[in-house]
Amino acid sequence: MSKLTCKKCILDSDIPGITINEESGLCQFCESYKPISPDEKKEYLEIIGKMLEENSGKGEYDVIFALSGGKDSSYGLYKLKKEYPFLNILAIQFDNAFISEAAVANAKKMCEIVGCDFFKLTMKEEALCDTFRKAAGSTNAYSKFARYRASDICNTCISIIKQKLIEQAIIHKAPFIVFAFTSGQAPNPIIDLKPSFIKWSRDLFEKQLQNIGVEDRDESFLLKNEIIKSIDKDATPVILHPMCLWDYNEEKIVEKLIDLGWMPPKINDSNSTNCLLNAFACQNHINKYDIHPYAFDIAGLVRSGDMTREEGLEKLHKELSEPLIEMAAKKLEMDLE
Amino acid sequence: MDEIKEDITRYLQNKSFMDSNTQLNDDDSLTMKGIIDSIGLIEFIDFISEKYSIEIPEDLLTPDNFDSINGIVKLVQKLTK
Repeated sequence: MSKLTCKKCILDSDIPGITINEESGLCQFCESYKPISPDEKKEYLEIIGKMLEENSGKGEYDVIFALSGGKDSSYGLYKLKKEYPFLNILAIQFDNAFISEAAVANAKKMCEIVGCDFFKLTMKEEALCDTFRKAAGSTNAYSKFARYRASDICNTCISIIKQKLIEQAIIHKAPFIVFAFTSGQAPNPIIDLKPSFIKWSRDLFEKQLQNIGVEDRDESFLLKNEIIKSIDKDATPVILHPMCLWDYNEEKIVEKLIDLGWMPPKINDSNSTNCLLNAFACQNHINKYDIHPYAFDIAGLVRSGDMTREEGLEKLHKELSEPLIEMAAKKLEMDLE
Repeated sequence: MDEIKEDITRYLQNKSFMDSNTQLNDDDSLTMKGIIDSIGLIEFIDFISEKYSIEIPEDLLTPDNFDSINGIVKLVQKLTK
């Protein structure tokens, strides 16, 4: 049967698991898609505003912010502080051994601009490379759902970030953790973490690491069990994704950031403005599963109207950077067919 | 009970890319079988709460209740009584 592409988003019938309804011309996600209406967005933002105000000043920081130095998180930090100037924010940049120098400079610059504390979370480069190498060499370590959300390497990296940011929030008694995920990456604006769920997701990630052959005995990547035990049950951190409620336009965001002094990175990667491993991770994922790990994310942006279908298709079909792939492969001491 | 089971299976097939030929027994672990992960679980919990208009208390948010079709069906039945 010839390839069918969803009339609304960019997913097509050649992608394993995607079904296009021949009558409606829509994929299964567009068929059941219920967008957050402008009124609902307003309501969510009011709830978030109230939660931030009521809990401000209760901990050492109000917010632990995941700052990669890329365009989305840099803009997210700026917008968060602009909307809620009273917030005391600790921005954490995870050095995954592949972040660009420009991303570090941009992250520090954004913290200076908004007036918040900056912390670079570092780990042993050898251990990180070994883990990413194992993630690249693995199949079926993560659920099928995760395979559509990101590459195996990115899923590993983002899981480490989540574990360690929750850990930092508990340590600093910060009531909120903010990620700058777009509507395509995280449609739930508020995730109220419960201690039992924190423990459950920690144990799940431990098993996923074991699936790829990593035993994290010293809990370098995992949320430390001792820290989980210290959680105040009445003050567990809440994860917020405000970017999925704010208007999102990639071009305008970059324009605004450049006005502020953020330097556009010289990375030829259409999907990342901060990570030098991303192109390799994408190619590895496509080779293994025949799925572009950004397809679902881009489809979400198109579905929600934050990106045009044409822009989405162009982004999806843009060739991955060979020099970046080769550079990462060399550092990981891997061959990529 | 069958209706709840059908709703859950349909959700997992559509949203979690579970193949229609996947052999999933009612007591199988959804996370260990690679059907769903922690992020998928958050959306799944949202779906269950909304679909059956229930609020899931913290102490019930455990693998026993949420990691198998049987566990979820029992939980929904308990909370909708």
